[in-house]
Parts: sequence; structure tokens; C-alpha cells
Amino acid sequence: MVEKDILKKIVFLKDLPDTVLEKVGSIAQLETFDEETILFRQDQEPVLLYMLVSGKVFLNCRSTSGKSLTLDDVLPGRTFGVSALMGESSTTFTAICARKSSIITISGEQLGQLFKEDFKTGHTLMLKVVDIFRSRMHMHTQQFLHSLATHPEIR
Amino acid sequence: MVKIEDLKRINLLRDVPDHLLEIFAGEAQLSIFGAGTRLITVDKPVDTFYMLIMGQVAIKKELTPEIDVIFDYIQSGSSFGTSALIHESKASYSAVCQEPCEAITVSGKRMIQLFEQNHELAYYMMLGVSRQYKRKMDMRAQMIMKTLDKNPGLKDDINDIENLTLVI
Repeated sequence: MVEKDILKKIVFLKDLPDTVLEKVGSIAQLETFDEETILFRQDQEPVLLYMLVSGKVFLNCRSTSGKSLTLDDVLPGRTFGVSALMGESSTTFTAICARKSSIITISGEQLGQLFKEDFKTGHTLMLKVVDIFRSRMHMHTQQFLHSLATHPEIR
Repeated sequence: MVKIEDLKRINLLRDVPDHLLEIFAGEAQLSIFGAGTRLITVDKPVDTFYMLIMGQVAIKKELTPEIDVIFDYIQSGSSFGTSALIHESKASYSAVCQEPCEAITVSGKRMIQLFEQNHELAYYMMLGVSRQYKRKMDMRAQMIMKTLDKNPGLKDDINDIENLTLVI
């Protein structure tokens, strides 16, 4: 059980009405993880959605040759492990606590069930995910095209 | 009106229950497009969502008047024009038929109206769209990882990879 005042610190949930936050809070846990705790590994089946309240988490990716690269530092207020929300078969990254971290965890299956009991909330949150993914893909494409356009062989 | 069996061939609709597919089927049309038909034009509003049954569609953008960059070839079972399902969205690419194509189409405006009345349909559609974006973002992240594997020196030049990590 997580109080709604804590859930309101999470960007993904911040616009939800209190009644919905109470439902989300009832299936959420607030846990503390030590530095270097591995929250989930790349290619594992995703189970939980993670929302960082305090601390810092690294998202790493391993290449085919086995090299590991940190792609992102997750800061408080952000949500990761969204594969669990989409019912996907495997995670893309490994998540490791960069320092002692306080994290809200929610079962992807239980949140999916909550969405099926309240499709309006499910729609609102999935639309938010789509909007964010779409704008990031667009931004990434623009940067890629800009790099190509300024490449000496093309210019 | 299209058959539910045709809709079940579309990847994005794989988890949509039959009673919702029936509503969707009533709004959809089966259309044939000739090779070279431009279905979506970059920077123009997207008014139709396309689900490809047969043929191939190139997703591309003009880099210079002489060079087009092709991002993807859409094959049967895949869909595009998801911007039509989101309010006031403009296309970030053009979509052009590479050969004669058969596609299921729905009006984006009508779907947005339906989403306001039927949140169950809206939820399942957005779930499908988010999975589609996730797969594309994963693919790009993997391509970047492969490039960095061969050219580690490029790491310092890449400053936007965190955009692909699905943190929200």
C-alpha cells in the first residue's frame, strides 16, 4: 500500500484523480533497495513497473559481443520497466541501483487488471505512454536526419 | 465494413476482444492502392489509419531533393498512420506504396470520436500502438548498440540514446 501523496510525485501518475490514485496505491509497494541491487535483467520476462521516489537507477544494455553500456540515469519521479505494463515477453535493459533507492513497485499484471476494471484510466495512461514514445521517436529521427544531412559526403 | 477475420491478421489488434473488433469492423474499409500512391505526406495532418493486408509500403523522409531516407518497409499485418488516432497530429514521414497494396483503413477522426465513447476500445488500441512504438524504439537502440560495439569511439557523439530507453 502506497499513500497517494507519494504517488503524486511520479510524473506518469500526477494528473490522475485521487480516487484512481487510491486504487493504484492499493496494489503498489514502497521498497528500499541498496546500491548495486539489480532490479531486473535484460531479456528477462518483465513483471514489475518501477517508479523512482528517491535515489538513482542506471539502465544498461548489453551488446551482442557482451559489452555493457549505460544508456540512461533514471532520476526521482520517473517510471521504468514499462514492458511489464504492455504484457511484453522480455525487457530491453538491465536496471541497477546506482545508490540506495526508494522505489514504488507495481505488478504489471495487477495494473493491467485495474485498467480493465477502469478503461478510462487505462486509456488515459496508455495514451500518455504513446504520446511520450511518439515524440521521442520523432526527436530521435530528426537528430538522425540532421546528422546525415550535415555529413560531409552528403553535404 | 470489413470481416473480423481480416482484422485478426493485423498485429496491432492481436489482443483486441471480438466484441470490439465488431465495432472496429463497422468503421473500416478495405481499399486497394496502386504502386506509387502516396498515402501519407510528411508534415501534413494524418487523417487515416492504415493496416496492410497485402503489398509493401515505404516509410520515408526527404533528406535532400536528391536523397530520400527510407526508415522502414511496412509488410502485411503491420500498420501505420497511428498519428491519425491522436489529436492534432501531423505526419513525421511520408508513406508510399511500393507495389499494389490492399489495406484496411479507418478514419482517424471517427476513431477519436469512438474512443471518447468507448474507453475499452481506446485502451486496447493505445496498448497496441504503444507496443508498436516500443518495438521500433528497441530496434533503434539495438542498432545503436551494434554500431557502438564496432566503433566505441562514437559513444561521446551520441547524446540522445536515453530517448530510446522507455523511461516515462
